[in-house]
Amino acid sequence: MDFRGELFPQLFTNGVINGSWYGVLGLGFALILTVTGRFHLAYAVTYTLAAYVAVALSQDVGIPLGIAFFLAVVVASLSGVMTEGVVYRPLAAGGGGLLGIFIASLGLTIVAENLIRLTWGAGSASRSLVGFPLRPFTVLGVTFTSLDMAAVFTAWFLVLALAFFLSYTPWGRIVNAVRVNPEMARVVGINTERVHWLVFAIGSALAGVFAVYAAMRFAAVPDMGLQQTLIAFVVAFMALGTRPVSVALTGLALGLVESLSGLFLSAQWAPVVVFGVLFVYLALRPVQLRLALRQVQRLVTA
Amino acid sequence: MEYRFDIANQVLIFVVLSLSLNLLIGYAGQVSLAHAAIAGIGGYAAAKLAIANGMDFVPSLVLATLMAAAAGAFLSVPALRLTVQHLILLTLAAAVVLVTIANSTRDLGGAYGLVGMPVPSIFGKSLAKPSQFFWFLLCVSAICALLYWRLADSPYGRVLRALREDELAARAVGKNVFVYKVQVFALASAMAGLMGALWAYYLRLASPVQFNVTQSLLLVTMVIFGGMGSLLGPVVGAALIVVSSPILEKNLDIGAEKAALIRLVIYGAALVVLMRLRPEGLIPEHFSFRRALARLGLPLPGAGAAAGQQSPPPAAGAADPAAPAGPGQPDAGIDIAARTPVVTVEGLRKAFGGIVAVDGVDLALRERVVTGLVGPNGAGKTTLFNLLTGVIPPDGGTIRLKGKDITGMTPDAIARLGMARSFQDVRLFLRMTVLENVMLAYSRHPGEHLPLLLGAPLATSRAERRARELALECLSFVGLVDKAGMLAGGLSFGEQKLVAIARLLATGADVLLLDEPISGVDPQWVDRVALVIRALPAQGKTVCVVEHNLYALGQLADHCYFMESGRITAEGSLQELMADPRLIAAYFGA
Repeated sequence: MDFRGELFPQLFTNGVINGSWYGVLGLGFALILTVTGRFHLAYAVTYTLAAYVAVALSQDVGIPLGIAFFLAVVVASLSGVMTEGVVYRPLAAGGGGLLGIFIASLGLTIVAENLIRLTWGAGSASRSLVGFPLRPFTVLGVTFTSLDMAAVFTAWFLVLALAFFLSYTPWGRIVNAVRVNPEMARVVGINTERVHWLVFAIGSALAGVFAVYAAMRFAAVPDMGLQQTLIAFVVAFMALGTRPVSVALTGLALGLVESLSGLFLSAQWAPVVVFGVLFVYLALRPVQLRLALRQVQRLVTA
Repeated sequence: MEYRFDIANQVLIFVVLSLSLNLLIGYAGQVSLAHAAIAGIGGYAAAKLAIANGMDFVPSLVLATLMAAAAGAFLSVPALRLTVQHLILLTLAAAVVLVTIANSTRDLGGAYGLVGMPVPSIFGKSLAKPSQFFWFLLCVSAICALLYWRLADSPYGRVLRALREDELAARAVGKNVFVYKVQVFALASAMAGLMGALWAYYLRLASPVQFNVTQSLLLVTMVIFGGMGSLLGPVVGAALIVVSSPILEKNLDIGAEKAALIRLVIYGAALVVLMRLRPEGLIPEHFSFRRALARLGLPLPGAGAAAGQQSPPPAAGAADPAAPAGPGQPDAGIDIAARTPVVTVEGLRKAFGGIVAVDGVDLALRERVVTGLVGPNGAGKTTLFNLLTGVIPPDGGTIRLKGKDITGMTPDAIARLGMARSFQDVRLFLRMTVLENVMLAYSRHPGEHLPLLLGAPLATSRAERRARELALECLSFVGLVDKAGMLAGGLSFGEQKLVAIARLLATGADVLLLDEPISGVDPQWVDRVALVIRALPAQGKTVCVVEHNLYALGQLADHCYFMESGRITAEGSLQELMADPRLIAAYFGA
């Protein structure tokens, strides 16, 4: 374990790139979790699906990259909405609790990952999406690509747009209302079903955008969704607030921590750092306090 | 032949792995996605010890088991107070970390794993062939299955299920939930570690793919498929899933790799469908082969034991349900001040942020007196109960129970010392039978303590009989013996409140705090519940009741405290309090 300080500028840049990415994924996941209460592991399905759809449309069908990108995001969005409509909602209506929905979600993820393996060949189903005008830049000894820049700009644009939507538009306020108190929202006449759909559509679209970027930056692989969903979990759970900007900043922080760990450790240890952070956080965070307070609140107000 | 033994060996390993996972998920309600990783600790430990240190087969198994148990106990500490979703996330994180460590450490063989383990042998006999390994594995699995059965289908398993249903309620009847959680994590992990080590020896290899997150998910699938919390479910689940792979391979004439993928697709889809149609799994928790046979119209083995016969005829208790009489009046003649105070509270204070919920309360609960606590909503009555029973720590003041300072003790410790409470929202263990709900409260049951459960089976079964008798007595006291075999979730609200009182009685506590035992109950049940409560002092109980139903409280309470804005502002009989126009105004809001 030797300190490699000269790597700092490059690692910091990588951290910002990955962190922005994590922030958006965490935001999509957090939006779904906090508004609908679904423990949506199948976020991974949406992500993987979008990447493969983009590859298939662009490379196999020959549709221009930009249109393939757009269609993939639409498919991602639809897949999220359908998961809610076809799987989660009937389950919830039948009394399936958080665990039941999580398990169904787990089942979906297993199905999707292995169907992709079966379709694109079991050994190497890896497909990369080409066609983006990839250009490397070197600024002050730090290297990044035009794709990285596009991804970071897209990420923060989406975060700010969502923040604006939630705070300043009527629909955004309705979403917030359902998040804070779904029952009260229903009582005052909000159609919470429609809000769930909207939230799944937005959250899944966010995943879709970055799945396509991932297919361009690295490649589409069958288990890409699960890895990224785990990170989205971490970001969503560690975010101190539910506001888009604070979720995104949590993602950024996580990306920086992960990347800067490269100053001390080799890159393959990065997951240990990310999940180690989560582990420590979950072990130490004042859950006790919050839980106890919630219990007391329930007893006092019942 | 060897091919069949090979499959049988895989089945055995996965059966024991999913049984141990069922202890965690199905019984204790602790969803773990790190079970394969924990098994991996056992596998890697055995492999490393055998390859690098040349350790023999059996000692390395023992060490591997212990290491996995230690890892499980370590994992349980942050898990102690997490909600289900946080626990899922935590165990997932632990699994990813462990697999990554295995993948990236050169000393652990990296992605290839530790290869070249020696051929295991026992008493000089080699276990190289699957058929040779089988018999040894069968013995070990049988021992694990017996241990599992003893843990699950026993007073110990009953406490675990209570944890799963409602932790706070389990603490309220005196169970130290922390100890149980650590134990069950350690035990389940020990079994997993042992199986991981055996698997490594069997394949002569410990590699990341054997123990990765996908394997953990597969184990969860097996448990859920078979039926969470059912004794035999995981056996069925694991066997079906393991065997299906070679069957697919043979019948579809496809490669092993493709068969494995198709199998996963099928099971993933089946999970989704199962959650929709049969969320309790193939063999549900309360499945009985007898009842299933009866439903199919088949003759019952051991004839004569009809379903529902379990509950003995209702004993003529103090409150026979058939008794038409309304509630009695409080004994007019008792001299409250002459009774010894059992619980004394001085200067009790609790603030939530800026809101002072309990503000310097002094009160005394006297022996065999029913004390009422009245006051408007938000007066701090429930907070007071929570302080008395240790659910929340007070900011100041003291609470004495029979002269002993109990301020700051945990709910379970206070319950064991003899003060127990019921809840406004009842909090029965809904997926357990009424009888189990009440039996659980029996204190000092040797069968709830691991060493005694395993070491003193006779004392355990004697205590179990006593617990059963006591529970039936308590149920007959509230007039619900005939419901003993029903699931608590199937009772009406009024019945649930009565079972809650029976559960309180069974704790053996002398001081009972009843939080709104009557509110929200159907009118025809009000008198019955009141009658039961009225009969408690004669059983030697000191009772404190929070209740909004003034009609009922008038029948019940010998003495009342009036509480408003966190303070006790008046005391006396209910009639006296209600004669004060100021209190009436405070109560009903003027």
